[in-house]
Amino acid sequence: MSTIDLPHQDDQQGRTPAPVVDNYLTYTRGIKSWIFTLDHKRIGVMYMVSVLVSFLVGGTFAILLRTELLPPGKTIVGADMYNQFFTLHGAIMVFLVIIPSIPAALGNFVLPIMLGAKDVAFPRLNLFSYWLWIAGAICAVVSLLMGGFDTGWTFYTPYSTTTETGGVIAVVTGVFILGFSSIFTGMNFIVTIHKLRPPGMTWFRMPLFLWSIYATAMIQVLATPVLAITLLLLIIERTLNIGVFNPSMGGDPVLFQHFFWFYSHPAVYIMILPAMGIISDVIAVHSHRHIFGYTFIAFSSIAIAVFSFLVWGHHMFTSGQSPLMNTIFSLITFSVSIPSAIKVFNWLATLYKGSISLNTAMLYGLSFIFLFTIGGLTGLHLGTLNTDIHLHDTYFVVAHFHYVMMGSALIAMIAGLHHWWPKMTGRMYSEFWGRIGCLLVFIGFNVTFFTQFMLGSQGMPRRYYDYLPEYQVYHVISTIGSYVMALGFVLTAVYLLASIMFGRRAPANPWGGRSLEWQCTSPPPHDNFKTTPRVGNCYDFSAVVWDEKQQGYVVDRSLDPTLNEPADKA
Amino acid sequence: MNRVIAPAMFLFCGASAAFASGGNTPRTFWMPEGASTIAPSIDHVFDMINWVCYFFFALVVIIMFWFMWKYRQRGRIVDAQGPTHNMALELTWTIIPIFIVAAMFFVGFKGFLNIVTPPENSYEIDVVAQKWAWEFKYPNGATSEDLYVPAGQPVKLIMSSRDVLHSLYIKDFRVKQDVIPGRYSYLWFQANEPTLNDDFHWLFCTEYCGFGHSNMNRKVYVLPEDDFAEWVVEQGQWLDKILDEDLYFKAGPKLFVRCVQCHSLDGTPGIGPSWGDHAGQGNIWERTVSGETVFDDGTKLSSLIGPGKAYETPEDYLRTSMLNPGKHLVQGYGNAMAVQALNDRAVDALIGMMKRIDEFDANGKWLKESELVDQEQQ
Ligand code: HEC
Ligand SMILES: [Cu+2]
Ligand SMILES: [Cu+2]
Repeated sequence: MSTIDLPHQDDQQGRTPAPVVDNYLTYTRGIKSWIFTLDHKRIGVMYMVSVLVSFLVGGTFAILLRTELLPPGKTIVGADMYNQFFTLHGAIMVFLVIIPSIPAALGNFVLPIMLGAKDVAFPRLNLFSYWLWIAGAICAVVSLLMGGFDTGWTFYTPYSTTTETGGVIAVVTGVFILGFSSIFTGMNFIVTIHKLRPPGMTWFRMPLFLWSIYATAMIQVLATPVLAITLLLLIIERTLNIGVFNPSMGGDPVLFQHFFWFYSHPAVYIMILPAMGIISDVIAVHSHRHIFGYTFIAFSSIAIAVFSFLVWGHHMFTSGQSPLMNTIFSLITFSVSIPSAIKVFNWLATLYKGSISLNTAMLYGLSFIFLFTIGGLTGLHLGTLNTDIHLHDTYFVVAHFHYVMMGSALIAMIAGLHHWWPKMTGRMYSEFWGRIGCLLVFIGFNVTFFTQFMLGSQGMPRRYYDYLPEYQVYHVISTIGSYVMALGFVLTAVYLLASIMFGRRAPANPWGGRSLEWQCTSPPPHDNFKTTPRVGNCYDFSAVVWDEKQQGYVVDRSLDPTLNEPADKA
Repeated sequence: MNRVIAPAMFLFCGASAAFASGGNTPRTFWMPEGASTIAPSIDHVFDMINWVCYFFFALVVIIMFWFMWKYRQRGRIVDAQGPTHNMALELTWTIIPIFIVAAMFFVGFKGFLNIVTPPENSYEIDVVAQKWAWEFKYPNGATSEDLYVPAGQPVKLIMSSRDVLHSLYIKDFRVKQDVIPGRYSYLWFQANEPTLNDDFHWLFCTEYCGFGHSNMNRKVYVLPEDDFAEWVVEQGQWLDKILDEDLYFKAGPKLFVRCVQCHSLDGTPGIGPSWGDHAGQGNIWERTVSGETVFDDGTKLSSLIGPGKAYETPEDYLRTSMLNPGKHLVQGYGNAMAVQALNDRAVDALIGMMKRIDEFDANGKWLKESELVDQEQQ
């Protein structure tokens, strides 16, 4: 049995002196120690801050859009501006927020610690990924200075190659660069999971978060290059007038859609898979019980990753692709729903006979189940061929993918943020305000987006600046919901920031987690663990005990039988 | 057997099944009015999926809240002992959904075959989309801005785009198809109920196409077969029937509808140069006659018009600007104007309108309408 750093002991009544061990935040100081850091935890934190700032920007555009749509016709901006706003909202949220949020921000922080490793396999590449992300974001800002872009986040040709807005090339270059950032992160994680697992951690003892990150990384590495090539072709067409997609130069505009969705459908799973991983862990830990059906959950992640490459055509049922292709894509699309359904049922079964603490993180986790169920089920209407013909490119689709991408992926990110916040910052936030914030976000979200299902099935097309008066009532409700949601997020930002200054010091293991990140101090020391620890079954909570003095849980390693197995079993 | 199924079907399909046999289906909580022959089957599938969704959503949410309450943490129990897996159960919830989605795929597929296979005897209408208008061309050469179709007969639209992607969507018919430049795509439907008393169905563009995307909506009129036949003939001759001297005010404003997205009449710059005062050079006719218009290479129009030059008369220049807009670009404007399908009389009408631009208000309405009425009454 190897040694592990036990959390240092507090003095009486849980009042905490400064930690004696070093922590990654104070290990070195000064701005340069951040800019050039190779520490995965700091890189994770930098990602997190950057992603949250982008979220603020993207969210601001969302609120402007909703406000513009309050009445038909002009409210605050003209049609040109509106088109730029929704494009920016989409592009920022997809490429700068959701895709990197869980893998790059939370994944970077916890993945190596979960493995008991000191860092990812390639720390320099990791830092490079981050700075590539920044470069991509800078390109987006430059594009705004060059006149912005109004192509929609999908960059459909020939509109994107002919529009007069000047920032198209800059932003496409930005997305191209962001793609590489994503590829490098994925590669890094694959190698890290293969090579740096600690003794005792077989594949099937990995926390499910790692399984999902692994499946995600596979998609990132395999799908993103296609996006990169597509965007390069787009740039070539726009600058050199070589016809690839534009029919007036002999190109094929539908080809672009195939290329684009060949990446962007899997990208949906780059967003949702890690979210599912977080939820598996959050639900198990806060129910204080072994996850139900570990193997099914793990394999369903892999199944989703594989299927995700075969369904891109479901975005194109009305695009003029052949009926046979539509049929095949519809069929395969339905097969993706099975692994997702399996996961939902397994999470529910995990609650069964648990000891559920309704912490903020858990509330977000449960919200995820609620919202993901709606998002997933409404996918059925869209996967079905004849109903999709009616619903395609209406608000029904908008509502559906907001339930999946925001209600699920982003809410899971926020669940993870709350789950690991004490670990990242060493501070506890106010559970009271946390719960209120979660409630506001949950209610606001549903009011905003559930309404849009009706709006869409009643026939309101998406990306509309102006609309028929008969749709106004839905738009008004939706906009009110978005304000409530915004309030919830502002509140969340306030109590989280307040916790950094005034929060109680976090114990090593505030929730009763069993995986390795809960066995080093909060915040973790620079090297995470002095020596690589042996691990047991990370969902076996029998070794977790409440420690009154620390006001937190501790993992009593002598209680876990799997830790005392002979080493060759590992 | 049927006695069990029929009420169940009614429950599942609500209003749509009840009305499927007769005329249009009314608007419901989820669906707009259904006015085509395929609408009921789509609504039916939609409702079926809905019920599957209601069931599973209720199942998940009720179980979730029930467990949340029943197994909430009491004290500090940290190691709850629940089952860690159950193969039989897990296989059950893997396999049952497979059957459900397989059924769903199948009904969707069957409905889809109907949507994509136009009947042989369809009435064909050509559709040309461009930013941000539709042009519908009927077999006899008539054209219209709004779509007119005969009732009780399958109609097939043969569509293409002059510029970027568009998508033609008629929500009440439940049909949608992208319109693609450089390629033809088809869409068919059959509407049985005529739209009476100026009633109509909306037609939307559902593929984002820029500035005017949300105003690319037009109306669809379903006419009884006889009325339709009459309408097409009349529509084919509308320009010919107008007297030459009336052309500019009777046909001009109607044609101007195709230009208004880009050209204003009151001097406000748009996607194209205003036909009112432009950059202090006067209105479209004044600056063309005086040759004040400046092109993007810095040259002036005056260098092109006159005996022995590219254009004999100002009218020739304007005609070319409409029929071959890319040939000269007015300074400050891109090559955004598509080639306009205008015949000689239409071009005459528009040039006539440009010559007397002061007689029109900012919306293209002819201001002397009342004088005309007065004259006729005298
Ligand atoms: C999609 C936008 C658009 C539409 C629709 C459009 N135009 Fe234009 N038009 C332009 C632009 C941009 C220019 C300036 C570039 C050029 O000269 O081709 C222009 C230029 C012109 C000119 C030359 C103007 C000058 O000052 O010399 C004429 C004449 C003209 N348009 C007529 C028409 C008519 C008639 C219609 C309707 C039947 C029409 N346009 C519809 C965009 C449009
Ligand atoms: Cu997809
Ligand atoms: Cu459009």
